[in-house]
Amino acid sequence: MVKDLSTLTAFIDGDACQFNEGDTLLNFIDRHRGRGHVPTLCDAPQLEPYGACRVCSVEVALQADGPRRVVASCHTPLTAGMHVFTESPKVRKLRKNIVELVLTDHPLDCLTCEVSGNCELQTVAAKVGIRGVRYPAGANHLDRKKDHSHAYMTSELSKCINCSRCVRACDEIQGQHVLSMHGRGFNAKIIKGLDESFADSECVSCGACAQACPTSAISDVFFSKSIEATKKTRTICTYCGVGCNLNVATKGDQVLSIQAPVDAEVNHAHTCLKGRFAFKFYNHKDRLRTPLIKQPDGQFKESTWEEAYDHIFANLTRIKNDHGGQAVAGISSARCTNEENYLMQKFIRGVMGTNNIDCCARVCHSPTAWGMQKSFGTGAATNSYEDIEHTRCVMVIGANPTEGHPVTGARLKQHIMKGTPLIVIDPRKIELVPYAKHHLQLRPGTNVALLNMFARCILDAGLVKTEFVKKRCENWDEFENGLRALDLPALEKITGVSLELVRAAAIEYASAEAAMSFHGLGVTEHEQGAKTVMLISNLAMMTGNIGRPGVGVNPLRGQNNVQGAADMGCQPHQGAGYFEMADLEVQKRYADFYGVPSPSEPGWKIPQMFDAAVEGKLKALWLMGEDVVQTDPDAHHVRHAMESLEFLVVQEIFMTETAKYADVILPASSFLEKSGTFTNAERRMQRVNAAVKPLAGTKPDGQIMCEILQRFGFPQAEYTPDGVLAEIAQIVPFFKGATWENLGINGKQWPVNEGGVDTQIMHQEQFTRGKGHFHFFPWVESNELKTNGQEFPFILTTGRILEHYNCGTMTRRTGNSEIVTQDLLSINPEDAKRKGIRTGDITRLSSARGEVELEARVTDEVKPGILYTTFHFPDAMVNNVTGQGCDGDTLCPEYKVVAADVELVRMGKLKKKQKDGFAPAMV
Amino acid sequence: MSKNLSALSFRKGVEKNVFERMVDAADKAGTAEKNDVVHQMGQDHLFGDAITLGAVSFYDFLKKENEGKMVFVCNGSACLCAGTQDKLHHTLETHFKSEEIGHICCLGRCHEGGALQYQGKNYSGQSDEALAELVKTGKGDAEDRYAVVSHLQPAQLTAEFPGIDAYYAPFKKLIAGGDRDALGLELKESGLRGRGGAGFPLHFKWSSCRAAEGKDKYIVCNADEGDPGAYIDKYLMEKQPHSVLLGMMVAGWFAGAENGILYIRAEYPDSVTIINEAIEDLRAAGLLGKDILGSGFNFMLKSIKGAGAYICGEETALLASLEGQRPEVRTRPPFPTIEGLFRKPTIVNNVETLANIHAILTLGGKGYAQIGTPKSTGPKLLSLDSHFVRPGIYEVAMGTPLQTVIDLAGGFKTKVKALQIGGPLGGIVPMSHVGKLTIDFESFKYEGFMKGHAGVVSIPESMPMIEYIQHLFQFTADESCGKCFPCRLGSTRGKELIAKARADSSYKIDRELITDLLDTMEQTSLCALGGGVPLPIKNALEHFGAELNPYFKA
Repeated sequence: MVKDLSTLTAFIDGDACQFNEGDTLLNFIDRHRGRGHVPTLCDAPQLEPYGACRVCSVEVALQADGPRRVVASCHTPLTAGMHVFTESPKVRKLRKNIVELVLTDHPLDCLTCEVSGNCELQTVAAKVGIRGVRYPAGANHLDRKKDHSHAYMTSELSKCINCSRCVRACDEIQGQHVLSMHGRGFNAKIIKGLDESFADSECVSCGACAQACPTSAISDVFFSKSIEATKKTRTICTYCGVGCNLNVATKGDQVLSIQAPVDAEVNHAHTCLKGRFAFKFYNHKDRLRTPLIKQPDGQFKESTWEEAYDHIFANLTRIKNDHGGQAVAGISSARCTNEENYLMQKFIRGVMGTNNIDCCARVCHSPTAWGMQKSFGTGAATNSYEDIEHTRCVMVIGANPTEGHPVTGARLKQHIMKGTPLIVIDPRKIELVPYAKHHLQLRPGTNVALLNMFARCILDAGLVKTEFVKKRCENWDEFENGLRALDLPALEKITGVSLELVRAAAIEYASAEAAMSFHGLGVTEHEQGAKTVMLISNLAMMTGNIGRPGVGVNPLRGQNNVQGAADMGCQPHQGAGYFEMADLEVQKRYADFYGVPSPSEPGWKIPQMFDAAVEGKLKALWLMGEDVVQTDPDAHHVRHAMESLEFLVVQEIFMTETAKYADVILPASSFLEKSGTFTNAERRMQRVNAAVKPLAGTKPDGQIMCEILQRFGFPQAEYTPDGVLAEIAQIVPFFKGATWENLGINGKQWPVNEGGVDTQIMHQEQFTRGKGHFHFFPWVESNELKTNGQEFPFILTTGRILEHYNCGTMTRRTGNSEIVTQDLLSINPEDAKRKGIRTGDITRLSSARGEVELEARVTDEVKPGILYTTFHFPDAMVNNVTGQGCDGDTLCPEYKVVAADVELVRMGKLKKKQKDGFAPAMV
Repeated sequence: MSKNLSALSFRKGVEKNVFERMVDAADKAGTAEKNDVVHQMGQDHLFGDAITLGAVSFYDFLKKENEGKMVFVCNGSACLCAGTQDKLHHTLETHFKSEEIGHICCLGRCHEGGALQYQGKNYSGQSDEALAELVKTGKGDAEDRYAVVSHLQPAQLTAEFPGIDAYYAPFKKLIAGGDRDALGLELKESGLRGRGGAGFPLHFKWSSCRAAEGKDKYIVCNADEGDPGAYIDKYLMEKQPHSVLLGMMVAGWFAGAENGILYIRAEYPDSVTIINEAIEDLRAAGLLGKDILGSGFNFMLKSIKGAGAYICGEETALLASLEGQRPEVRTRPPFPTIEGLFRKPTIVNNVETLANIHAILTLGGKGYAQIGTPKSTGPKLLSLDSHFVRPGIYEVAMGTPLQTVIDLAGGFKTKVKALQIGGPLGGIVPMSHVGKLTIDFESFKYEGFMKGHAGVVSIPESMPMIEYIQHLFQFTADESCGKCFPCRLGSTRGKELIAKARADSSYKIDRELITDLLDTMEQTSLCALGGGVPLPIKNALEHFGAELNPYFKA
């Protein structure tokens, strides 16, 4: 292989060094001499080479003593045998001259500057040996005004050196195009939007620009890049299922700021405003700091941990003795770690002796887990985020990734902007729609109808990958027969989408070399949720889009660890590792492992728990980090359930709507204060590392569960993340090869086989269940619409926005609440006109369950007859109107289809500018 | 340059071009930098507001400062040296408010001086009375008169146009059954090198684009002849438009491109009109569109008008401009033949380069190469300014002595101390060196100058060299795109140094500082603007030391 080596050798200041194909000179020098050896001002590892500052100039020659020329190393490709001179007197002088020019238009106030000590310009100036500026005073831009308009983002453009890193970050990372250079030459300056403030611009405050800026020209209120931290801890974001890696800067027990590591495989120096900025909830004054026990008068009284544990022990033991374990249930938290979820189900099953354990996957992706298990054998994403780089067609079904999963959304948007065809199947014009090639804007509740049309079009176009279907799948004939019997004109009417549009999209998907689907709660939170998931699986199978790069069925999991909570057995029918609890062999396996009998009776799912509580069958409930009153549908019913319980334990970080009903509240620690693992939507287990000690008076949920297990006499060791993980690896087969150590900084994607070999792409040779199984289901109208559609003629569908997370317990206690202050009701201009509603008006939204008041937002993002809102604010309590309809297979609530009506309550104030539009939609 | 924006712009492509919309908006309102206009264009093309605003604010004729300007006075080098513009400005002030008078850099009326643009038409050499009449009635003598002389016999680029049928005969033959490999060989043998200034072999460029993968390819004619003093391309577009169009069509056939775009500077309104008429004539003759003459070859031609930015003559900036992005220079590789317009394979050639294709088709590659020198083949046009006795366009074979051109033009009307040849980035040739130069790439380079595009500006004895140097720095500062640091900052600091030394007799420029500045700009700038302006300044410092010494430290 001598020849190969010689073709990949070049010289740095005379030393022969290996390079990689495609290396620029700077990549090459950085790798061998360390970043910073050759200074630069405009280059950044997360951005494409740009070639503006020229400070990275080096000399190159074809022979050691051959003629040299000066090139900018950041964008000059390397060729074999090239000699690179990084420190010649000539380039040292040139670099110094350039930096001197930069300093002719830069304030010389380093000592008082926010980033002093962490300023790249300062570092580079020192490195090149600048002592003074020789030019006489000339024109400058030192009088540019600061911008402190925004809750997070700041700018001080007198410090700007026009490197365009921020503009490039906004383009290449977030894809938002909020920043640009304005004017030209010496007077070129950075602008936001229409040359306005951060607050007035369309900035989504992802902070990528601030992280990229080499000076303090663009920064944030936390001084994230310059803050003098005593420690930096790498951990995983607590918000959505993307699983962004975060670098948390702390000083003592204070979290100072958060940045995104450049080497994070999941998020590559990027994160959204929630991950980067919305952390101030962690030591908010509202945090619960001591256990509370409800007194007979209904008031909470502070207690010690021992008193609380005793109270719990006494009550649960009594209830179990009186009514059996089946009268007790637990709901674990997808916000908590794998280890904590594992311990919770261990407690409920092993100590309480019941399968009544569930988690919030029930209300989001339980249909995905169930449906994909039926189709493929594994209820998790088949592929990885990395596959976005390899796909040739993206289909997004019932998901709004740029708001719900912002970093994945941004990554998708990068490719879609560059031309990867996108199919959006969604009742709303989501942010990605203008970039999409196909938008199938179906009526909410008709996913099955539409996907059946879609599959039929693939069949009719002769695009079924017959060989794949024959070799790898089963039950095709039933599916084909079902498709052939469809009444297509009727389905067109039902979905409101023409066959022509569906056909074009279907052909796009089926003809692509590699097509990848992503779906969200717009698929699952329906009466036919699990069936829709199985249909999406059918589409992938019939087109051979399984088991290779750039394909697959990829649920965008909602919560940071909702994948993990189900993996850990926090669902009634399956224990840790997805073993069926009804199976006697399984019961024996668990019994042997834990040394206690396994519960054999089927457990209740969350909605069944509420029903059972109301009926008096469920007496005690343990909630770990779930605000079911605000987040579960039909809040009246949930409240009734809470009131009906004899005993309610809530482990929480804040006093939530649900916690108010508790008999005992245990103050838990937030993600910043605990260690364990989260599993993201691509099955990647990543290490969560405590950045600060638990807030005084609180305990991490894992520690609480261990202490509870001990209090109930179970031989449980003290909580350590590596110890619990080691136990999980023994019982969960797909965790077999995972250890705390080998997870490293970027984690591992399960199944993790022995030796720590992980899995980016599943079902490569065969499906987990052997053969992929086709299912056919006819579309069925939602009961909600059949029952209430006459009286409530609109269809309300609910979702979420970028700035807030779920019920907002955390985000409402951060600067995000300054950016978005309330839930809004989206209504089509036609409907709005008919109802006399304008943007800003207060409306009454009603359903068969109840009514709420919401401010209206008139927009064509929804079709006539459709309403849309979010459920982030308890003031609105949108779940007072949602219903009890649910997925027939998994009982996942039907948040996406509510028969509703809307009326004007009172006129609102006219808004000057709306976030998503230049002019207010005046109707 | 943003890959995302290139791809977004590609969606609407050439037909509903976003940049064209920006220019149209400014044609209607005097500026495109209005929030509602910017926002609407952004919505339609999926550009963020900042992106669109950033782009329109870049151009002289789109930015908001342009609003309300009634008349534009040329401030190019030739008009400066002609000494006509102070008086012209003064005269115009009797008709317009001073804020209504704008500047424009080089209308290609260098042969006459006194150039101005009024109501979209160019004028030069107007008397006070004629100006008064023009302002009063809107009517004036816009005729452009200059000599067209060929020293080369028979003339190639300046030969009389024989009509579309005859002129396109070799093209028809080519598409009817021509062999691309054979044409490639002819191109190689012709030795044709780009006429825009860099002298890159055409055959390499065309072959690279031909070999590049991709369904969509483009031919772009760089008709943004921004060099003050040059009106060669203007001549070709206005008097020989088919020479350019034929060159583009051959390029399209050779490389497999179906779209040809001429990016014509707004300073040449007649060029835009005449090229558009010629395109219509071609269409009428059945030489454009789908399946041309049943050959299976599809080709479309379109002109797009620029908006006042010298940097758009740099090919990557030009392509960015066509995409509606800020026309900032981007790094190469990848070269445009691989990633050009909309990041698709693209041939970008200058007007004069394309005009040479006809001669290669008719003479054959070898025949063509017999004109000129072995390394600089073919004919070359020069444009001479108003200090010559017979200013105009001169066609010579490459290798012809510079003195021969001067003699052909009858010498000078006034005393001239130097010639700046090749635009503002070309060398300043003292008269003492004229005899050493022949019109080819090698001779100029060897003597420490640069032939460039070969516009010739005479610097009269009456023009202080320090003022001319300041003019060059000023030009660079005005036109720098601002992306690379040495050019953006260096041109402004250079201009300030010279201005301070001129204004303050006690201030002397430090020699080491100016040397550092020029070396840094020359060696580290991203493109030929910042990298090029040090050459003439160094020439001046070398050859006019005695005149300049008082401004520098000993």
